[in-house]
Amino acid sequence: MNIELSREATEYGRQARRALEAAGGDRLVQLAEEEPERREKVVAPVLAGLGAWELNPCGDAGELEAAAALCRSAGYWALPYPVAERLSRPAGLDADGLLVVAAPAPSAPVADLDLRWVAVTVSGERSRAVTLPQTSPPRHSAFVAELELSPVDGDGAADAALGLVLPCWTLLGMLDRAIDLTRAHVTVRTQFGQPLAAFQGVQFQLTDAEVERSGVEMLARYALWSLLASPADALADALALRLAALEAAQTVFRVAHQLHGATGFCDETFLSWLSRYSQPLRRLPLGLSATREQLGRQLGRRGLTGLFSEAR
Amino acid sequence: MGEGATALRGQLRTMVGEHIPADFLGAFTEDPADLEIAQRFCGLLADRGLLCLAWPEEFGGRSASVWEQTVVREEMWAHHEPRGGQYMGINWVGPAIMRHGTPEQQRRHLPPITRGEVIWCQGFSEPDAGSDLASLRTAARPVEADVQPDGEGGTARQAGDGGWLVSGQKIWTSYATMAQWCFLLARTSRGARKQQGLTIFLVPMSRAGIEVRPIRCMIGPHHLNEVFLDEVRVGPADVLGTVDDGWKVVQEVLAFERVGIARYARCERLLQAAPSALGDRWDDLPAELRGRWAGMLVHCRRARLLAYRVLALQSQGRVSPVDTAAYRIAVTKLDQDSAEVLMEMAGLARLAGAGGRRFSRAVQDHWRYAQASTVASGSIEMQRILLARALLAAS
Repeated sequence: MNIELSREATEYGRQARRALEAAGGDRLVQLAEEEPERREKVVAPVLAGLGAWELNPCGDAGELEAAAALCRSAGYWALPYPVAERLSRPAGLDADGLLVVAAPAPSAPVADLDLRWVAVTVSGERSRAVTLPQTSPPRHSAFVAELELSPVDGDGAADAALGLVLPCWTLLGMLDRAIDLTRAHVTVRTQFGQPLAAFQGVQFQLTDAEVERSGVEMLARYALWSLLASPADALADALALRLAALEAAQTVFRVAHQLHGATGFCDETFLSWLSRYSQPLRRLPLGLSATREQLGRQLGRRGLTGLFSEAR
Repeated sequence: MGEGATALRGQLRTMVGEHIPADFLGAFTEDPADLEIAQRFCGLLADRGLLCLAWPEEFGGRSASVWEQTVVREEMWAHHEPRGGQYMGINWVGPAIMRHGTPEQQRRHLPPITRGEVIWCQGFSEPDAGSDLASLRTAARPVEADVQPDGEGGTARQAGDGGWLVSGQKIWTSYATMAQWCFLLARTSRGARKQQGLTIFLVPMSRAGIEVRPIRCMIGPHHLNEVFLDEVRVGPADVLGTVDDGWKVVQEVLAFERVGIARYARCERLLQAAPSALGDRWDDLPAELRGRWAGMLVHCRRARLLAYRVLALQSQGRVSPVDTAAYRIAVTKLDQDSAEVLMEMAGLARLAGAGGRRFSRAVQDHWRYAQASTVASGSIEMQRILLARALLAAS
């Protein structure tokens, strides 16, 4: 098992975060919401400049780690672009990206992009996917579009694992940012003559959020390792990561909103954007209950591979 | 973890399988036979050089890697700690004596620990000094020069040093009823800060003036006791380290326990055992409960990986308070959350034959023990304070 990210991948992620900040940072999602058609034009060149589309996450551990680090950096800025989905593109099918979907209403946050998609269910059924026209503006849809599917084959189990893991890295980046924002806020915001951070009730909420975030980080690294080193377990490990990430997101965003107070709902605070644009990642393809149920089905009586999985 | 650690895990499981009964729930039960099982097992571990694996070779250990030590912690805790009360001596009393003890103290105390022959208790907590340990009131009053200490510990009295008389009360002292020695923290003077003026004494529990009263509790016998000290005589030879500078030793002791008990290992073992223990009854469980069971397995993995991160840093000589506190919060919550899920399965397990009933008893034991996990060895609130301090300092 390897739970360390390589130095190269960590550095690549750092550079990506800086490049995205230079390209607009927090403003990127705001611009995209104002002019949805511009997001391809504004964001895609930055990602191309980072060599994102030359990465081959399916075949090489180093490139997989770099892809994960890039997704995390994209999440940090709530980048309005399906980076993880594009990086998950399946080998052997001519497509720009992969979307993990679930019945009965397959959908994904890929509206207003001229890209060719393959969709895959958790059980590995692959289809060609075409986005249906948008019926609501991004402020309400967060770029989620319904999809029309045309079946291809049932060979997508490995695709599904990768397609579940990389978006969790995006969500991890969002959790990183939510905690950074909250930490900064409670340090400067003063009430009763002292910073909010001086109140133990505030401190304890922050620690609950950090415990959740750091746990997701460890599971994300494990799931990444499992994709290449333990393919038989990769789907269960991906679902395990997703379950923990969704639980963590619930805690982290709840704490972030609570500690920001009313200012956290205002668009002049980035938390408002981060929180809204985390929604597609947290609800699609499976929400918390459905992910837990799916994981339970996947594990059956076998359990999750671990210290005692062979001793039953 | 490496091949050595994997082989060690296999060796320990074989030993447990051969020498520990399947229904063993720890050394401290109503049945004295369980303590005998643990004592015998410690002897076997000692014979094979596995009891004090982490200790340096010069003190009878094998200088095992961090990962080998982790395997021992995981396997022992998962199997209801068949080392009984020995782990205290092995994990931190011995190492503290290695670092701060005199050659005479090392000769006297370390060999019996390596042989698994001695049980230590920790005389730290008091009725008014729990998390705020430095507020303790047990006082060591200097004895007039003409009063001789009783000589326990091979006292070689120095001119002008008549030793001390210790009086006070300790509480929550695990294994005090069976321990031969106490690692006792007492106040020898008052400094500008309450952490100053504290001294560690290594005191035999047989010494006059020590009275132990067991506290009946839900965790089980021997776990919690009161220890009353009434003018207990201690001499300079009983002092570990420097007089009035015991707080430094205490902090080191707590650092030895940085990662603490591998609670996730027992949680995972019980969770993984549930389907076979329930047999056909497994399918009668509500789907929602099976989902929570899967979720708890994820939390086990999460806690284990958080522990491994702390250990990886430790093996590089680095300490990360954020990671350490995050792990301890996660693992103690896991203990309690998994216990709730398992308890919901235990009722049905009782209907599933002898294996199911055995599982059910183990789950109930786990639930009782888990209630203390957010209190023992540093409360979860203290961990949150440490984590918050580190997090906010980083901003």
